[in-house]
Parts: sequence; C-alpha cells; structure tokens
Amino acid sequence: MGFGTLIGRRLLQILPIVVFATFVVFSLLHLVPGDPAIALAGDYATKERIEEIRKLYGFDRPLVVQYAVWLWQVLKGDLGISLLSSASVLDLIMQRMPNTILIAAYAFVIATLVGVPLGILAATKVGSRLDAFITSIASLGVALPSFWLAILLVIWLALDLHLFPATGARVFSDDPLGALKHATLPAMALSAAVIAELARQVRSALIEVLGSQYVRTLRAKGLGPVSILWKHGLRNISVTLLTLVGLLVNRLLSGAVVIEAVFAIPGAGNLVAYSALNKDFPVVQGVVFVFVLMIIAINLAVDIIGALLDPRAVQE
Amino acid sequence: MKVKSQQPTTWLDRRELIKATAAGAGALALPGATFAEEAPRKGGRLRLAMPYNPAALDPMTGRNLPDLNTLYAVFDGLIDFVPETLELKPGLAKSWTFTEATTLVLELVENVSFHDGTPFNAEAVKFNLDRYKTDARSNVKADLDSVAGVEVTGKNQVTIKLVRANAGLPSILTNRVGLIVSPKSIQDKGGNVDRTPVGTGPFKFVSWQDNNNIILSRNENYWRPGLPYLDGIDMRIINELNTAVRAVVAGEADIAVNMQAPQKAIADRSPNVVAKAAPGLVLYGAFLNYGRPPLDDVRVRQALNYAIDRDEINKIAAVGLGQPSAAILPKEHWACDPATQNFYKYDPDKAKKLLAEAGHANGLELETFGWADQQAMQRQEIIISQLAKVGIRVKLTALAPQQAVQAFLIEKKGAMSISPSSAYPDPSQAYEALFGKTALRNAGGVELPGFRELLDATMAESDQSKRKEAFAKLQKFVVEQGLQLVQYISPAVHVASPKVMNYRDSLLSVPKLTDVWLKA
Repeated sequence: MGFGTLIGRRLLQILPIVVFATFVVFSLLHLVPGDPAIALAGDYATKERIEEIRKLYGFDRPLVVQYAVWLWQVLKGDLGISLLSSASVLDLIMQRMPNTILIAAYAFVIATLVGVPLGILAATKVGSRLDAFITSIASLGVALPSFWLAILLVIWLALDLHLFPATGARVFSDDPLGALKHATLPAMALSAAVIAELARQVRSALIEVLGSQYVRTLRAKGLGPVSILWKHGLRNISVTLLTLVGLLVNRLLSGAVVIEAVFAIPGAGNLVAYSALNKDFPVVQGVVFVFVLMIIAINLAVDIIGALLDPRAVQE
Repeated sequence: MKVKSQQPTTWLDRRELIKATAAGAGALALPGATFAEEAPRKGGRLRLAMPYNPAALDPMTGRNLPDLNTLYAVFDGLIDFVPETLELKPGLAKSWTFTEATTLVLELVENVSFHDGTPFNAEAVKFNLDRYKTDARSNVKADLDSVAGVEVTGKNQVTIKLVRANAGLPSILTNRVGLIVSPKSIQDKGGNVDRTPVGTGPFKFVSWQDNNNIILSRNENYWRPGLPYLDGIDMRIINELNTAVRAVVAGEADIAVNMQAPQKAIADRSPNVVAKAAPGLVLYGAFLNYGRPPLDDVRVRQALNYAIDRDEINKIAAVGLGQPSAAILPKEHWACDPATQNFYKYDPDKAKKLLAEAGHANGLELETFGWADQQAMQRQEIIISQLAKVGIRVKLTALAPQQAVQAFLIEKKGAMSISPSSAYPDPSQAYEALFGKTALRNAGGVELPGFRELLDATMAESDQSKRKEAFAKLQKFVVEQGLQLVQYISPAVHVASPKVMNYRDSLLSVPKLTDVWLKA
C-alpha cells in the first residue's frame, strides 16, 4: 500500500464519520428533555408563542426528517443560520475558529518545547532526584484543573504584574503581536496538562528503548550517549510520540472550551458550549462538523508523517 | 374620561434632585469638593461588558430582558421612563392622552429622523405597531393584545384603539413594542432586521459579532440636543460573570452590567473599581401549582410562606443585597404597596399550625423542580432545609431552566418549581403572566375568584394614583392567597471604573446610556 491508498482510505472515511458524529450530536441534543421552542420564546413566553415557534422552525417534524433537512443543506454547502441570533453559522465558525486554533497551536508549541525535553531529561537520569522531581511535577500537571490554573495565572500575571491582558483576543492577521500576547496566558493554562502527559510518556517510552538489548550493543560498540539518544533513542520513540501528539491535539481543542470561558475568548469552544446549552442546533452541528473535519485532517497528517518516519506502517 | 399625561416640565428626576440639593443647604452638610459637580465631558468610547448575547437586535424578535441593553441605545421608545422608579416621561411621544378608556392618542415629536435619514412620523409608528401585532415572527404579540387597531390621525399624531381598557399600555410602550424601527430598513431587508437595527436612538449600530462584541457609534443627528456624550460604545459579551469583573479590574472594560450579588463581593476587594447593587424587578420565587392538591389549599400555601426565612435566604444567596419580599415588586416600584410587601413574617409554628389545620399534621411531601446551576442549588438547599423544619419534605429535581419549564409548566408535573421570574414594563403584565388563567407560568391553569376583577381594575383608570390603589388591592390579594412563594427581589449589580459618570441603575436592570459620560 502506498501513500495514495493511505490518503484515499482516509478521505473515504470522512463521509460516514461526519454523518455518524453529527447524527449522534443531533440526537443527543434532542433526547435531552427541554424544548428548543421554550428557549426561543424567551423570558416572556406564552403558550401560543411556543406552539407557533415549534411550527415556524419545524420542531414538530420527526427527528430523522429534521436531520435529513440539515444534512441536505450541508451537502449543498449551507450550514444554515443560528436559531438564537440569526447569524450565519459559517460566518460564526470562520470568526471563532482562528481564535481556538491560535490558543491550541500556541499551547501545543509550549507543551512540545517543555514537555519533550523534560521527558528526555528524566529518562536519561532515571532514579535521580531530578527524575523524581520531574515525575511529581508531571503528576501534578495532570491532576490540576486547567481553569483553576488559568485563574491563578490571571491574578498573578495579569492583575498583579500587568504583563498580559486578563481577557479577550485579537485577530492574528490584524495584530499578530497583540494576538500572541492575548493568547499567552490561555495557552499556558491549556498546555499544563499536555506538558505533563508528554513528559511522562516520553520518559517511559525512552526508558524502555534505552534499556533494550540493541542499545546495550550500541554502547558496547562504543557509541556515545548523545549519539545513542538522538540517532537511535528518539527515532525509535518518534512513532509513539507522533500518535500521542495526534491525541493530545484533540485534547487541546476540547480543553479550549473551558479556557475560552475563563478568558472571555470568542472561540469555537465557547461558541459550541453556549449554543449547546441554548439548544441552538444549527450552530452545534456546524461546529461539530468542522471539528470532525479538523480531527480527520490531523489524523491523516499523523498517518503520513508516521509513514515517513517508519516505512513499515505503509507496507503493512 | 380625559386624563392628561405628565408634562415634561413637571417631571423631576433623581439627577436634577441631586443638583437641586447640592445647590441648597444640603451641600453644607457634606464636604464641598464632592458636590462640585463637573460638567459632562463629550467624547470617549464606553467599553461595556455584559454576560448575554442578544437573541436579535430587532425589538420584535429578541426575547430576553438583557437584549434591551443594546436596543435602548439604538432605539427610542415612544414613551420613556425614569430608571429608578419606572415612572413615565416623554419619549418619541411628547404626550399621551386617554381620550376615553379605550382610545389612546399619542402626539409625536417633530423633525426626528432615523439613522438611515428617513423621517420618523405617525406612519412609521403605525407601521411598527402593526408589525409587532401581526408579523409571524413577532415574539411580542401578547404585549399588544389589548390593541384593536392603530390609526394615523395627523402627521405627528397616532390614535390607538383598544379592545378593552388598558391603562398599562403607556408603560408597555416604554418597552419593546414602543421601540420604533425604520420602516425603510425593514422593507429593504425583506422584513428581517434581526442583525441590522436602524432606529432613532442616541447610538447607531455598527457591527455585531455573535457572543463577542457589539459596536455602536454616536448618532450625530440625535434629536435630543447635546446628547449623547459618548463617541460610541464597545459592548463585549463575556458570559462568565467573574471574568467580566476581572476585565473591569484589569482596565480592559469600563463597566460590567447585569452582574449578580457575588460579583459585588468580588469587586469590592479591588480598590480601583466601584461596585453597586440596586433593586431590580427580577424576583426569586417559586411557582406553585394551585390547581390541585395539596397546594390548592390556601392554608398550605400560606404555611409555605410562613415557613421560609426570607432574610436568611437573602443573606446567604444574595450576600444580603436583595430585598426580602412576599410581593412580586420591590418597594421602590410605584405600584408596590409596602403595607403588604412583608405580609409573612418568618413563623415556623404558625406554618405547622396551618399545615395541621389543612390535614397535614404529619407534614407533607412536595415534588419540586429547580435549576441545576451552583447558585440555584445553594438557594434551593436553604429553602429545602427551612421547609423541612415545619415538616414539608421537598423532593427536588434539579434541571436546566428550559427543562424545568417543560416539566412543570408544560407537562404539569410536580407541585412547585423554584425559579426566578423576569421583569415586565407594566405590573399588570407581570400579574397576568404569573397568575392569569391561560398564562404559561400558571401551571394549575386556575384563576382564583376575585383575581380578574382586581387585575382589570388596575387597567381601568389611567390616573397613576388610582392605579396605585388598585395595585395595592391586587398585591394584597395575591400575597394573602400565597399564589407565589417569593423569597427576595434580585439586586442588579454593576461594576465600574470611577471614570464612568452618570450611570443610573434602572429598576428594569437595563442601562440607558444616553447621558453617560467618561471622565478624562
């Protein structure tokens, strides 16, 4: 099997995955009791108005019909409009997604730059005090809730030291420096758990490789520790690391939901949470749809890079 | 019957009162410097944080109270109001007169134009009122259900014919259905102006990014001379209340509105911001299904009312900032009668006695719905523990607000639903919406004998003092019958930088930003 087949196979998966994921979300939103017409009728609802809204928006039709109508529109390239605010769902996503991608990507960079070296350091000094220190910091990082860390960061670095803004976001293409400044605290808070996870995984994978027989042979052959680590150790854990990174990126995207709320960032996570609470189906569906596409793309990229790193993966 | 509305000259608001006091002897009692009132400064953009994204910026299709934060900046009401008391004052209608009980004549201001340059006149008013009453997408039809028709009786005169007497209509015209949208803008957009509001108000709409921001700029041709002071308003929508407070503390916003009691406590710890709590109209209560046992027995409803300690609930759930009340209106409201506002003094023994008389000597169980958020849970737990002391066992199901509405009001499950209730421009609407026979919020669908006559009386006479008397009687009836389990009236909290001047808290919990200005 070559690259072409690999990519082709991934692309073929898109349609069933999108249909499955959006249908599950659609059903979940409908199965949770509570009528969207009640939300739409608002604070001053009357019985008549709720009934009118049900008809107006087609909530009185069977679930499958409502879903099919949505899917048909999407296939025609129309993600619809928000039930709550009549805004175009596509516009909403286009406005929001860059903010989410920015903090997720920023957090990813921080996590890689910090987490991987920490893991390597711990693995090369197994059993030392440094190792114990890194391991306990990593456990703490996994256990700390990100929103709590976020609030601490705000109080310390924004409200006390005024180094970074406490809330909001800037559009990257308009003001790259401002955007990065606004994204720093959210990215730090978001990266903590990922740093911890990366450090732990790199450490254990590397310990396994460095303890294997062929590394002992390499050592016996007189190869230096740096060469062993870079040429053999890291290369061998790279596929494991890559798979892990793919999963962690997905986690960063979902973690953004909470972090965006704490920092008042108008991102996609904030959007989907608010819309789900208010039963704004078209928006939730639209965001889920885009997230599914993004995750498929990330997995595809992981597969391709994996194949480059380890040609056996393609041959299998 | 001919009752003339208040004239602009007779109306004195709190600001003028303060000015008058400052000029007089009152100023001597206070440090002089604090009363050297500065002249308002023109310029600057107000950065306002608020927790709710509007549903729509068309008054007709929006649906929640905080939408009015933006609507009142872009639109003018036919009739305006004094924020602190909701007393009426002239708006786009310079006067209003009931020529008979079912005929209301509005005299409109002249030489006013919409933001798109088209003229504001009687035709525009008729167009809007007809649209509010009949459009398929209208969420506000119920507000105009007493209106039979609207006639243009002069270039600047509109006559509204009613199907029944409704002295509350002028108050209603201060709210959504009194906000006048440019007819041309509606026609140009094929009827949907949800995201493109064009009014006559102090600020013009520039842009709205959902759940992010709304940008408004000064209407240079505003018809009230010299106003507004601000160059514009940048509204930021920050759903998380504490985050909104942090934005003000960090100097990233000038003011956060629609905050709740806990945010005042948080903001009070920061020396560089001012936090204020003012009475609002949102009430924390519990809806009762008195259409069936056990709450169809007035003694049981009264027992509930005697069994709760409103002061304690207010202290714990609202940091003492709310107003304990058994009535649905705060004492600051012109239609509230203080005589019966605290009809029920906390008296668990009396509650037990009433329960015993009603045949529940061993207590009773009430299937109850509530909200699942943390603050609601805290409030509900206090109520449950207080009711338990008199033998009322509350079986609580905590749900998302819409689910609670669905279960209690639509599927008619349970006996009680602990939930806040929103503000209405005229109190007659609030009484109708809570206790009227066909009202959504009246779960039992039962209207007690005597209620309708008392409610009709509040709408029969347009004279404010007579209405006040009628509301006092209605309030007494509702409180004595224990039709609601009101605990306290919610405070409206705002957190602001000290450079925000002239911000007035409104009973409606919605700011009017026309004469707000920023210190240099």
